[in-house]
Amino acid sequence: MHLPRAGAFWFHAVMSSPIRILADHLVNQIAAGEVVERPASVVKELVENSLDAGCGRIEIDVEQGGVKRLRVRDDGRGIPRDQLALALSRHATSKVAELRDLEAVGTLGFRGEALPSIASVSRLTLTSRAAADADDADSAWEIGVGADGRLIPARPAAHPPGTSVDVRELFFNTPARRKFLRTEKTEFDHIHQLVRRVALAHPEIGIQLRHNGKDILSLGAAGGDERKVLDRLNALLGPDFAEQSLALEESAVDLRLHGWVMRPAFSRSQPDQQFFYVNGRMVRDKLVTHAVRQAFSDVLHHGRHPAYVLFLDTPPRLVDVNVHPAKHEVRFRESRQVHDFIYRVLHRRLSQGTLGVTTEAVPDPTPDAGPPPAQIAGRPARAFPAVGSASPPRPAEVRDSRLSYQADLAFQRPRAGARSEPSSDPEPMAPEPASAASQSMPPLGFALGQLNGVYLLAQAVDGLVLVDIHAAHERIGYERLKRSWKSGEVVRQPLLVPVPVQVAPREAELFASHAESIARLGLIVERLDAGSLVVREVPALLRQADMERMVRDLIADLAEQGRSTRLEEAIDGVLATLACHTSVRANRRLTLDEMNALLREMERVERIDQCNHGRPTWVKLAHEDLDRLFSRGR
Amino acid sequence: MEFVVNRETLWPIVGKVIGVVERRQTLPILGNLLVKAQGQQVRFTGSDLEVEVSAECAADVSEEGETTVPARKLADICRSLEEGADIRFQTKNDRCVLTARRGRFALGVLPATDYPTMEIEQGGRGISLPENVLKRLLEKTAFAMAQQDVRYYLNGLLIEFQGEDMIAVATDGHRLARYKIRPGGDFGEGRQVIVPSKTVLELKRLLSNSEEMVELLVGAKSVRIAVGHTTMVSKLVDGRYPDYERVIPRSLEKTATLDKDELKGALSRTAILSNEKYRGVRLAFGDGVLRLLAHNPEQEEAEEEIESDYSGEAISIGFNVAYLMDVLNAIDAEKVQVQFQDADSSSIWRGRDSDDETYVVMPMRL
Repeated sequence: MHLPRAGAFWFHAVMSSPIRILADHLVNQIAAGEVVERPASVVKELVENSLDAGCGRIEIDVEQGGVKRLRVRDDGRGIPRDQLALALSRHATSKVAELRDLEAVGTLGFRGEALPSIASVSRLTLTSRAAADADDADSAWEIGVGADGRLIPARPAAHPPGTSVDVRELFFNTPARRKFLRTEKTEFDHIHQLVRRVALAHPEIGIQLRHNGKDILSLGAAGGDERKVLDRLNALLGPDFAEQSLALEESAVDLRLHGWVMRPAFSRSQPDQQFFYVNGRMVRDKLVTHAVRQAFSDVLHHGRHPAYVLFLDTPPRLVDVNVHPAKHEVRFRESRQVHDFIYRVLHRRLSQGTLGVTTEAVPDPTPDAGPPPAQIAGRPARAFPAVGSASPPRPAEVRDSRLSYQADLAFQRPRAGARSEPSSDPEPMAPEPASAASQSMPPLGFALGQLNGVYLLAQAVDGLVLVDIHAAHERIGYERLKRSWKSGEVVRQPLLVPVPVQVAPREAELFASHAESIARLGLIVERLDAGSLVVREVPALLRQADMERMVRDLIADLAEQGRSTRLEEAIDGVLATLACHTSVRANRRLTLDEMNALLREMERVERIDQCNHGRPTWVKLAHEDLDRLFSRGR
Repeated sequence: MEFVVNRETLWPIVGKVIGVVERRQTLPILGNLLVKAQGQQVRFTGSDLEVEVSAECAADVSEEGETTVPARKLADICRSLEEGADIRFQTKNDRCVLTARRGRFALGVLPATDYPTMEIEQGGRGISLPENVLKRLLEKTAFAMAQQDVRYYLNGLLIEFQGEDMIAVATDGHRLARYKIRPGGDFGEGRQVIVPSKTVLELKRLLSNSEEMVELLVGAKSVRIAVGHTTMVSKLVDGRYPDYERVIPRSLEKTATLDKDELKGALSRTAILSNEKYRGVRLAFGDGVLRLLAHNPEQEEAEEEIESDYSGEAISIGFNVAYLMDVLNAIDAEKVQVQFQDADSSSIWRGRDSDDETYVVMPMRL
C-alpha cells in the first residue's frame, strides 16, 4: 500500500511540481554548500568576522576536528541585542551598505552569507555583549537557531564584551557533506593551517587555539614589538625562519609589498610555506604565484619551492575580491602592473641577498614612488612594521633599512657605508665589537686560509665566514656572462635545414601573435599554413637545442600564462654550464690575495648567496655560535 | 678452445674490433668480444647491436672452439704486453686463461652461444672500390653529420647511388657537405641509404690509404663492408633524408678565390677574440682584399686582412668559425673558392676546380 503511493508522489514531484520560491532555510543550506565546505571554512568565516569587529584577541576551541563543536570568541565591538536576530538572516551585514561600498571593500567579509549559512547546517548559538559605548553594554544576550531553521528568541546570558559563536554538530542535517569529511586529525590540520595564516597576517592580535581542551597555539599580541613579531614568525614557520629570511619593503604608486622571503638556499621541497596576503586577505592567486616563481627562477633549483610571507597593500578599489565565495582568488584591475611590481621587488631583493649587493637600476615604469597607499579606511593599523625595524639584533647581519641600501649604492661598500650612518643603525643598543676595526672590515672579512682545497675561511667582524669556492666562483662567472649577454646584441644562426613543427591551428595562431617578441630573442618562426610552423633561425647560443620541443614548450607557456620566459631560461642554462666549466675547481691552491679578491668580488655580485643550482655559497659562524661550541661566556 | 697467437698479430685485430664496443652497456655480453678458433684462424667480433666488426688472423690452434671475453680488459692486456710476446688462450672452468711469457691472466667468460651476431642479409647491391677512395669519401663529408639530433635521420651519412655517381651527403641543419665519386658501373635509378654516424666514424678509422679493393654490399636494412680480413656489418637508419638538393643554392653571382692556408691562419687568429660560445667572425669581402673581424663581450677586437681576387660591391657576412674550419680542413686544394650572394643567404665553398665537392655554410647574423 505504501509503495505505489511513494512512487506516485515521486512522479508528481518530478513531472508537475510548480515553480516556487524556496524556503529561506533551504536557500541558506544551498549557499552553505559554497561557503561551508568543512569545519575549517567555518573557522575562517567566524575569525574573519572577529577581525572585522576590531578585536584584540581571538580564542578558538575545537572539539573532534570541529565536527562536534567549534567556538570562536573575540573581544571586539559586539552586536547589540536588537541586531542579533538580523545577524543570522541572509544578506544582512554591517560591512557594506550600497554598491559603491562593494567597489572598495575594506573588510574581510561583506556578503552577509556566512552566519546564516553556517546556522543552516549546524546548531548555532550566538552570544554577544556590545562594546561599552552602546546602549545595552552592561548585559550580554544569546540567540540560537533551532533544527528547523527557526530562531530561538534572544535571552540574557553571561559574556564579557565581544562575541562568541558556538557551532555544534556541524553538518548534522546534511549527511552528504558529513560523509565527505576526513578524519578528525585531517580536519583539525586544516583548521590549524588556517589559524596559522591568520596569525601571520595579524601579529597585533592574540590568538589561542585549543583542540579537545589542549592548547595547540597560544600567541600573545605583538603590540608593535618587532622581537615578538619575529618570534611569532619562528613559532609559526619554524625556528630559523626569521634568521634565514630576507625582509623587504617597497612601495610604488598605489602598491606596497612587504614581508619576508626565505633565502633561496633554504628553499623547500613542498610549496607549504607560501603565504601571500592582499590587503590582509590570504589569497592563492595564479598571477601572484607566477610572479613570485619567476622572480625565483634564476636562484632556485628545479623542483624546489620558495618560502615566503608577503603582504601586498593596494587601495581596495583596485582589486576585486568578490570573485570567489571563499575569496581565495582576487582580480586586480591592473593585473600586468601588479605582476611586474611583485616580480621586480622580489627579483631586486633576491639579487641583493644578505650582503645587500647593489643592483643596476631596474627601469621603473612608475618612477615617482609616492607614499605608501593610505591606510585602508575602516581598518585598524595592522601591517607589520617596516623592514628596517624588523632586523634581528645580530649586528653583522646586513638587514638594514632601505635607506642604508641607498647609501650603499652611493659608496659601493655595503657594510661600511651602512654602519657609518648612525641614524640607520637598526640596533643602537647592540654591542659594537671593535668598532674602529669594523669600520674598515668588509662584510665577508679577510681570508684566513683554505680548507681541504674546497672551502675558504675568512675572518669577518662578527665571526667566521666559510665559502664554497667553486660555488661562489661559478655564480660570479654566471652573473658576468649574463650581464655581457644582455648588453650585447642577439646573434642568430639561420638554419640550413629548417625545423618543421606541427601544431593545432589555435596554437599556431597564438604563437604567431607573439612571434615578434620571440623574434627579438633570436628565434625566427614562420607560419606556413593553419597548423604548421617552421623554425628558420635560432639564437646562436641555443644552436644545439631541440627546437621543436622549445616551440611546443613556448606555446604551452603562452597558452597558460600569456607569456613565457623559456628562451631566456634556456639561454641562462647554457651560460650556467659555461660558467661552471670556467670556474675554479676543487683542490686548486689559492693564495691569500686570490682569496681576498674572491671575497671582494662576492660582495659585489648579485644573487651571490646561492650558486647556480640554488645551494648556498657561504655561511657564517657568528662569535656567539662559536662561543656556544665551547660553552664560553655562559 | 686453445690457441697461440703473437702479440704483433693479435693487437691490430683487437684494436680494429674494440672501437664498436661501448664503454657502458646494459647487456653485459656486449662488453665482451666473441672469440672463435677454427682451422688455423681465429676470429674476433665486437658489436653494439647497431654495428658489428669482426676481424681474423692466423693462429696456432690446438683445440677449436668459441667463447666471449671482456673486451676492454683483453685490449688493455694486449696493449701493455711486451712486443713480440706469444699469447696462449686456453678455456677451462669458465675462465679464459691468457699466458704470455711469465704472466698469467684468467678472464671471466660468457657463453658464445648468447652472443648477438648480426644476421647476414641476402641480396643487395655489391660495389667494389679502392680503400683510399672510400676513406676519402668519408673524410670529405663525415664531419658535417649531426650528433644526437632529434631528427635522427641527420645522425648519419646519406649515400646516394644515381646513375654512375655515388654521392655522400651530411648535414646537421646548419651546414652541409656533399662529395661525389664514380666508382665505375651504372647504378641506374636513384637509391638512398643512411649509414649511422657511429658506423661512419668507425669505418673511417678502420680504412687505410691503400689501394686494396673494398667490397660493399648494400641491402635494404643493412650494409656490409669487407676490407681484407675485416668485415663490418651495420644497420641502416630507417628514415627519409631531407631533400638536400633544395638547400644547395643555385646561381650565386659573387665568387672569390682565397689561399686556403692563409685563410685558415687568419681565421684561427681572429677567432681568439670572438665570442667563446658561438665564435662568430665577420668576413668582409672588398676589392682585392678579404677582411676578417671579430670581437668578444669584453670589447676586445681582432682584425686581419688576406688577399682575394674578389671585385664587386663590398659584402660582409658573419660565420661560425668552427664551420669554416671544418670545411677548410676537408678541402685538399691550395686555393678555395667561395660563392655567395649577400649577408643573409648561404654560401658555397669548395677547392678550386674541385667540382666533386660542395660545402654549404649558413651565415650567422652577428
